[in-house]
This record gives sequence, structure tokens and C-alpha cells, in this order.
Amino acid sequence: MNEDNIIICRCEDVTLKDIRNLIQQGFTTIEEIKRLSRIGMGPCQGKTCGLLIAKEIAEITGISIEKIELQNIRPPYGGVTFEEIIAGDEVEK
Amino acid sequence: MHNIEKVELIIVGGGPAGLSAALAAANYGVNVILVEEREFLGGQLVKQTHRFFGSEKEYAGTRGLKISNLLVEEIKENEHIKVLTSSRVLGIYKDKIVTILTNNKMMKYFPKALILATGASEKFLAFENNDLPGVFGAGAVQTLMNLYGVSPAKKILMVGSGNIGLIVSYQLLQAGVEVACVIEAAPKIGGYSVHASKLRRMGVPILTSHTIKKAVGKDKVEGAIICQLDSSWREIIDTDQFIKCDAICLSVGLTPLTDLLRQTNIKTVYISELGGYIPIRDENMETNIKNLFVAGDVSGIEEATSAIIEGQIAGLNVAKRINKNVKYQLEIEKQIMEAKEELELLRAGPVGEKVRKGLKKIGLNNSKNYDERMSNEEYDISFLMRTGIPSNDNLKMKLPQSEEIFNKGPIAISECFQKFPCDPCVKGCPFDAISEEGNINNLPYVDFEKCTGCAICVSKCPGLAMFVVQKNYTDSTSLVTLPYEFLPKPMKDQTVLVLNREGTEICEGIVKRVIDGKIQDKTTVVTVEVPKEYFLETRNIKVK
Amino acid sequence: MRIEQHPILEFKKGEKIRFYFNGKEMIGFKNDTIASALYGLGIYKLSESKKQKRPRGIFCAVGHCSSCLMTVDGIPNVRTCITPLKEGMQIETQSQEVIKDA
Repeated sequence: MNEDNIIICRCEDVTLKDIRNLIQQGFTTIEEIKRLSRIGMGPCQGKTCGLLIAKEIAEITGISIEKIELQNIRPPYGGVTFEEIIAGDEVEK
Repeated sequence: MHNIEKVELIIVGGGPAGLSAALAAANYGVNVILVEEREFLGGQLVKQTHRFFGSEKEYAGTRGLKISNLLVEEIKENEHIKVLTSSRVLGIYKDKIVTILTNNKMMKYFPKALILATGASEKFLAFENNDLPGVFGAGAVQTLMNLYGVSPAKKILMVGSGNIGLIVSYQLLQAGVEVACVIEAAPKIGGYSVHASKLRRMGVPILTSHTIKKAVGKDKVEGAIICQLDSSWREIIDTDQFIKCDAICLSVGLTPLTDLLRQTNIKTVYISELGGYIPIRDENMETNIKNLFVAGDVSGIEEATSAIIEGQIAGLNVAKRINKNVKYQLEIEKQIMEAKEELELLRAGPVGEKVRKGLKKIGLNNSKNYDERMSNEEYDISFLMRTGIPSNDNLKMKLPQSEEIFNKGPIAISECFQKFPCDPCVKGCPFDAISEEGNINNLPYVDFEKCTGCAICVSKCPGLAMFVVQKNYTDSTSLVTLPYEFLPKPMKDQTVLVLNREGTEICEGIVKRVIDGKIQDKTTVVTVEVPKEYFLETRNIKVK
Repeated sequence: MRIEQHPILEFKKGEKIRFYFNGKEMIGFKNDTIASALYGLGIYKLSESKKQKRPRGIFCAVGHCSSCLMTVDGIPNVRTCITPLKEGMQIETQSQEVIKDA
């Protein structure tokens, strides 16, 4: 299969070839791969690509998938505007 | 300026787990805030047009969308439950503050307890052009068809033969979409055999040991290239096949949606049997963070019935902590025990093996109460699980052992050969003629002496696996009564084409009776007269 | 394409909702999301991907995969698969150029 034509991260257009290159260069955690390729940083925040990348890391490096951690997640979940944040505070007035 | 509302219980997610958790807790006076991202409650239930399996107690035999309606009605009537739809939980912070975006405002709450029932998301598959429009997740196809009445395609290729792949394929046929075939990478069908049989008798091929290589098309799907796999799951060269289709449905599994959970410091672990990374929790559904519970698919991919029971367990445990009234403590504890036992029973059969294995890895489900016989299949169903068609040996076990019984009149034949937890046929028979010997995981058997051929079971069976035959209707013809859930509906005295279990036309038949009442709930029960030599083969019809 | 008849479900087409897709007037129905209205009209390609401009449409339809993002009434990156359709909405396909530097 043409790895260049297989999309792993839909949000940032990162292909299977890109991912495999990074893993082969020695970047074997999702957090590292995220910083270098932007996977997991797009709107879906890794929901679509996370598991696939973990499996690739496991397969290429031989590290058991149980030892591979998904990316860190921080609030907010989904987007929120400043207007919405302030509006919440003003409710009691 | 800073308004942080102290509340008792926040439940995130209005699907079956969240709904049942809310009801369980509210029934003991806990004040619940139920938060749901969408405008409607019900989660994935609202798209499920098929009848559910499992125990009648948990709505088996009822269509998924009806179960949703029932639960939502109860929620609306409960004064202890405040529902926030079109609301999204933004953050769960280390100081236990929960922020929720509701009504365009970010509100802050400080709950005593939290139940996360955020469900699952679809797994994605790596193949060429996998991002082309027309490549859908199975849930998306269901959403378009069943929620919005939009046809997703004219002809679809289904990738994956788990229950979701098989059920969605059937729903596609009901929506008038052609299913080119179902492909499955494993050497056997992943879902319940009855779902596969339903497809085979509609003429849909199921190709095991096949996978997809490429989606073909410029701006949207115009076809797909599939290939065969060997026993090591590797591509066999020169087996490429082009399948013409305008959509590809990926039904390759679900994985828990743990984004919100991972904002906290709960421990997760990768367990393939449960769908991926799951939160570690105990048998009361509590995580390593005190008063933070999980329920439903987010705790491990299973089914709606288990989600409902897990929701009850979580909700009851919160009630136990918050409602200090001694009078209720024992009662709540008893209900928790019963729920746990029911869950264990649901998982006891052969189809529960995967989940049991997964839960054992986190130290759960170590019950030694399993009867080995319960968790083994009764028949050799290897052919059935590869093709969706029962073997002749399988069929023989369910037919009357003597010819005399056929002279009695119409009798029910159960074409249910695989053990999974299910009992609507047993509970629904007005003559107590069907038995599973008291265990929901056993295969059902018809007592031909008691059976009157009333055909109520034909519409009750969620797998559409019950048939009534009257072999000696006349000297040369038999009557076969079968379930039919397609349009156009057949009419009395109409001549129809008769199909066998492979979906092949074998003869013509005359429709003698069509029952379509309230009990049948849209599973039309059709009796067709066929030449006697076809009475055991007649398993479907085609209305011309 | 809309499903007219179904053996289990009843589809009652609600009132019509007029909206605009890349400036062209279109009709959807009450209870549609933006994406379901477009798919009902046979429009499958909703956007192009960020870097390689690959065509994209609905994948998950429940707001998880962000494949259906479009610009709605000037606001970019709206998840059209879970956003209810409203009268007069201006829906546009989007590409990287939409988000200009300040």
C-alpha cells in the first residue's frame, strides 16, 4: 500500500509514511510525535489518530502497547470563547 | 463574581449508562445534573431500529429507540434530575471543580460525586484514500439513515463483521441501500451468527479473511479494492478485487472516549479486549479517584444492556454515599448485589469471553462461579461462524426427531445455534413451549408437544431466527411462517419469490397470511405456501 | 437523497429551511443538521484538508473526528454534523486561507 496515500491524522494531514519516518528516527512516544508533526493538536485532539499511532509505535519498536501512553489532555474539552467564559461569571449579577 | 454551585451528582453523558445512573441515584433522593452534548438524550440508542438481545428485564426484544424513549420519559418525570442538553463539560480540575458550557455560558460546579458515561468513538482504519468523502464510520451511516432519513449511498461496502457491521448492513438494506458485501479480516464472523444469517438470506455475501486496500474515487468514493488474507493475516498477492460502490462503511470497532477522564489523574491501561485504553476501576465502577465513577462503553466496549446495568451500579453506589438514611443502606446494597450478579450472568456465555478476559487483566471478574459448560458452545458452529449458514448437523439438532410430530400441525423451529444471553422467545411464548433450562445463555429448545404454532415467537426473536412450519398442510404443499422487515410488504394471496438461507431463489410461493399488529411491532409475520420439498429451505421471500 | 419509505421508521419531513451553500440557495428540513441537509442534497464533499487539500466529508457524524468542519455564518471550524440547521444560515467550504493572520 502506498503509505503516502494513507491518512493517519485527518486534522493535520499526517500520513502513515510521516508517522513511520518519525518512529524510525527514534521518536517513540506519542507526545514527541505530536510536537514534531502536530498529530493530536487539531480539532479532534487525537480521537481519530491516537490508537493507530500507538499501534504503529508498538509494531515498529516492539514496545508492548500497554507501555505506550496516549497524549496528555487538558481542559477545555472542545472550544470555548472568552465571551462564554465571562458570561458564566456574570450570571449572579 | 465567582459562582461555583455546589451539587450532589453530575453525570456526563445522556446515553443508556448515563440515563440509568441518573434514575438509580435519583430514586434515592440524590440530586442529579445530567449533562449531554447533543440536543437530545439517548445516546446511540436513538438510532437503533433493531430489537435488543439480553434479558427481558433489560428490555430485550424491544427496539433500541423505544428503550431510549422509555428511559427518557422516566427522567423527565423525576424531580431530582436536572437535564442540561446542548451542554458540554469543558473541564474536570484537580480541585474537583467541573466547568460546563451551557446556554453559551461557562458555569462552574463543585459536585460531591461524578459519573462519567461519555461512551465511545469509532476506530479508524489505515488504507489508501481512507479519508475520501463516502468513507463512513458505521455510526455515521446509522445516524444519517435512522436519525435524519438521509440515504448514505446507493451501494455500500461494509468493512467489519462484528455486531455493529452486521446490524448496520441489515439496516442499510431496510433503508433501500444495496450492500455489495461484508468483508472481515478474521477467518470467522465477529458478531452473532443470527445477524449474519439475516444478511445471507437477503443475498449479501460475507467474505471472511478479506480486507480493504484502497478506496477509489476522485472527490468521493466510486469503488474499493479488497484482497484476501492468509492465516497470518497477511495479504495474499494477486487476490485484488474491485468492488463497485459509492460508499465504504468502516465497522472496525469502538474505543472508549476517555478525553475528559484523562484531564484528571485517573489511571488508564490498554486492554485490547475492551477496545483500547480504559480507566481502571473497581467492581463498583469507581476509579482510583474517590467519588469519580465510570459506566458504559467508556469503561470498556460492551453493549447497551451492560451499559444500563453499569449505570445502575454507579448510580446506586453514589446514592449509598450521599443518602445517609440508614433505612435505605441495606436496600441499596441489595440492589447493587443483584445488578452485579446480572452483569456476571450476561457475561457468562461464550460471547462474553472477550470481556471477561479483559476485565480479569484489571483484577475484576474473578468469580469462580462459572460453569465451564455454560461458557462452551453447544454445537460445532465453525461452518456457521465462517459463512452465516448453519451446517446440516446444526439444523438436525433443532428439528423434530420423529416424522409424527410434523403431522401435529404447525410447529416452531428455532434456528439459534450460538450461545449468547437472550430470552425473549422463552418469555414471550404464551404456552411455555420454549425453554433455556433457566439459564439465559443456553440455546432455546422447543417442546413440540406444547407448541401450537401460534408464531408469536417469530416476531419476538431479536435475531429473527424463529420459523413456524406446517409440513403437511396439503399432500403437496407446506406452510412456512417467517419474519419479514422490508418494504414493500407482501399481501395475502400474492405470489412471491421464495429464497433459501443463501438468499438464492428456490421457488415461488403464495402468501396465505400476513400478521402486522401491535405485538409484532413492525416485524411482519408472513405465512407462505410452498411446494413440500422446500419446506425446510424456505427462509425468506422477495416481493415482486 | 432522502429515504421516503422505511419498514420501521417514519420520516415526517418537517418544515423547509432555506440556507445558503457557498452562496447558492438550498433547502433543508427541520431537525436536519447542516451536514445531513447537504448529504440529503447529494453534496458529499464538505471541505478540503488543511495541507494537502484532500476532499473531506462526514466520517463519524457525531462530532468526534472533525472531518465535517465548515464555515457557518462567518465562524470557521464549525462541526456541521452536530450543528442544527437554521433558517438563512450561510455555509461555506473552508480552506486554510479563511483564517487570516491579524
